[in-house]
Amino acid sequence: MNLLDPNSGIKELLLGNEAIVRGALEAGVGFISCYPGTPSSEVPDTFFRLSSKSEYYFEYAPNEKVAMETAGAAALGGVPALVTMKHVGVNVAADPMMTLAYIGTPGGLVILSADDPGCHSSQNEQDNRYYSRLAGLPCFEPSTAQECKDMTREAMELSAKWEQPVMLRTTTRVNHMRGPVEFGQMKPAKTRGEFKKNPGRFVPIPAVARVRHRALTAILQKIRLEIEDSPWNKSWGQGKVGVIASGVSRSYLKDVLKSRPEIEVKVLELGVTHPLPGNLVKNFLSGLDKVIILEELEPVLENDIRVLCQKNGLTTEVVGKGDILPLWDEYSTLCVEKALMDALGLDFKEEEQCSPDVSGLPNRPPNLCAGCSHRSVYLNVRKVFGNEAIYSSDIGCYTLGILPPLKTADFLFCMGSSVSGGCGMSRVVDSPVVAFIGDSTFFHSGITGLINAVYNKYDLILVILDNRTTAMTGHQPHPGVDQSLYGLKPGNIEIEPLVRASGVENIRKVKALNQKAVLEALEELKNMRGVRVLIAEEPCPLYAKRIMGVKRNKVAVVKESGPATLECLNTLACPAFYLDGEEVRINPDTCAGCMVCVQICDEIKPGSRS
Amino acid sequence: MKPLRVFFTGVGGQGTLTATKLLAETALEQNIQVNAGEIHGMAQRGGVVHSFVLMGGYFSPKISQGEADVILGFEPMETMRALSFLKKGGLVLSSEDPMPPVSVTTGKEAYPFMDHIKSETIKCSPKARFIPCVSLARKTGVVQTANTVLMGAFFSMELLPFGLQVLLDSIKKRIKPGLVDVNLEAARLGAEFVNQPV
Repeated sequence: MNLLDPNSGIKELLLGNEAIVRGALEAGVGFISCYPGTPSSEVPDTFFRLSSKSEYYFEYAPNEKVAMETAGAAALGGVPALVTMKHVGVNVAADPMMTLAYIGTPGGLVILSADDPGCHSSQNEQDNRYYSRLAGLPCFEPSTAQECKDMTREAMELSAKWEQPVMLRTTTRVNHMRGPVEFGQMKPAKTRGEFKKNPGRFVPIPAVARVRHRALTAILQKIRLEIEDSPWNKSWGQGKVGVIASGVSRSYLKDVLKSRPEIEVKVLELGVTHPLPGNLVKNFLSGLDKVIILEELEPVLENDIRVLCQKNGLTTEVVGKGDILPLWDEYSTLCVEKALMDALGLDFKEEEQCSPDVSGLPNRPPNLCAGCSHRSVYLNVRKVFGNEAIYSSDIGCYTLGILPPLKTADFLFCMGSSVSGGCGMSRVVDSPVVAFIGDSTFFHSGITGLINAVYNKYDLILVILDNRTTAMTGHQPHPGVDQSLYGLKPGNIEIEPLVRASGVENIRKVKALNQKAVLEALEELKNMRGVRVLIAEEPCPLYAKRIMGVKRNKVAVVKESGPATLECLNTLACPAFYLDGEEVRINPDTCAGCMVCVQICDEIKPGSRS
Repeated sequence: MKPLRVFFTGVGGQGTLTATKLLAETALEQNIQVNAGEIHGMAQRGGVVHSFVLMGGYFSPKISQGEADVILGFEPMETMRALSFLKKGGLVLSSEDPMPPVSVTTGKEAYPFMDHIKSETIKCSPKARFIPCVSLARKTGVVQTANTVLMGAFFSMELLPFGLQVLLDSIKKRIKPGLVDVNLEAARLGAEFVNQPV
């Protein structure tokens, strides 16, 4: 597959996220920034992979706000720009995003918001279509891989035409679907532009902002007129009952209608959902007795349509959120089928299906990998602080410390919250508070919390779990990673001097797999007061193997199974350990050779990998 | 072709996503309309992985309860857990080599008896086949080809509008050169196993 093929006509099976990349390339994107986050990560990762063979400029930003600001300014400079993030990342970037909609983005700016209905990899399932309305961003909602490409391209063109930022709102199923995509012609990347000074537009002091808010409203009206005729909003079928569907619900609807020919409905597919093409919807509704709205999560279209009905005196019954179409989780063909049958008064007979009792099956939660240094640090934190401390966790693989036996996550808000959240907690409770943060998350938004901790004199132990990469989202670099590993120019920002410069005096830095060093450092810090930082460093074992090319020749071997090895199995919960009857064993295929167990148990010895 | 929904279930790291992509790309190459769905990220860290290939004109990227024509189970307990996704009359092909979760390896919970998994599966899919994917993969010298053993079995069962040879060609085209031979052997071993009289 060659995403950089300049020609049109080729058909490839692409991930939705890869199709977004192709769409942006076809539109001549010149500047891309991001903060990775599931389900958006393959978009920037694909740009990164291809960057040495392309003209566009790409970077990973330390957080979404920075990404939005750099990409926004590139667009002010006249270059077509794309910024990508997961839905909760838009919260971080919301401040500049709101202003960018007021002042406009002459080169064009598309904001990818990858939402996660069903919370596959997220702390919430917020519906960012509200942001498109809050900020005043036209909003595209693709449902297939082909649409991911085509809508990205069109969103970039629309954005450049109206000089306004546009939201491309996807959901996990669309980002991570694979489907055939037919390529269009590629435009050369526009990487250089010109900034036309106009402080009366681009500097939103109150006098400017008041004018720009009205300008935004007026532009959105014009964009709405264009969207009224957009080929992405199409009507088909007939009947007295209508269905208005958006996003991936359109796919579920089409599959249901194909398998159930007895369901006769008139359909309006909305691919561009904001500004709402009011005339189109009004014409669609006239003559309908009833309309069913299919949209995952919030009743955004439903509410718009209810307002539209009220304003136009339409008596069409609107069926939306309720028992069959809930406010949470994903939709499916099953729930769409139920909703349609119910609305049409048809009898829904659930297909007979297999339902063996699986309630007693052991669960299989995600787990820290064998060889993960987080396990090593957590083990020692529990030894030193046990159940007494309150553990303030953060976003990353290390959130899996929530699971027993490690149990080192007591509360969590969002990226970077462990430090400031830990501070707030420490001021009001008697227990010691230990906060954990990863290296990428520290650069994302932990630093400001740390500065506050020093500034406001908190009593907090912060453990920086530095595994040298952004592990959870697929080993992206961050400011602390030596860029030469990625074929870029060498150089990285060290965490320790940053911590010191923030005013922290009590700092310990250890190799995270060294049991004695980790334990001693924690015991020392426990006996101090004020802000204390432990930096526990060890590359993520998957990253070490795949990116750094580190080979581990050793494996841990059980010399004699007994109470000591059983204790080790129970405290570590390492996936390489298993019980064979009563005997504790270590699977050499799974063992990553971290040697943590060897250090804590005399009955386990290092052996060579045969 | 007759529309076909294939449900993949397994454990993160087993290569279910590689197998999903292989089937989807192969189908597209054979001019079959195809959609596939995956989930990436946190769910993969040793957790259950579900993925989907929908062929013959579907738009949806996922499979609901009672919709799968075929379940490909890369881990037997996960096969059992996924049975409610099987359509009436659907077929189950599964590995019979357990990959116990941590709660089992640490003795906190018991892995279900294989006979129980098999009998529950056969209730839903009388023609279900269990395949010793890991021990067959070991014969190739690379145990990680267990996923290809299952794919070999699947491609040889005449459920798809193309057969084993198409899989072998696709492996040659898509798998890293150094791993092609072992994967070809793994696919043949899987095919051979299911074509023996039961």
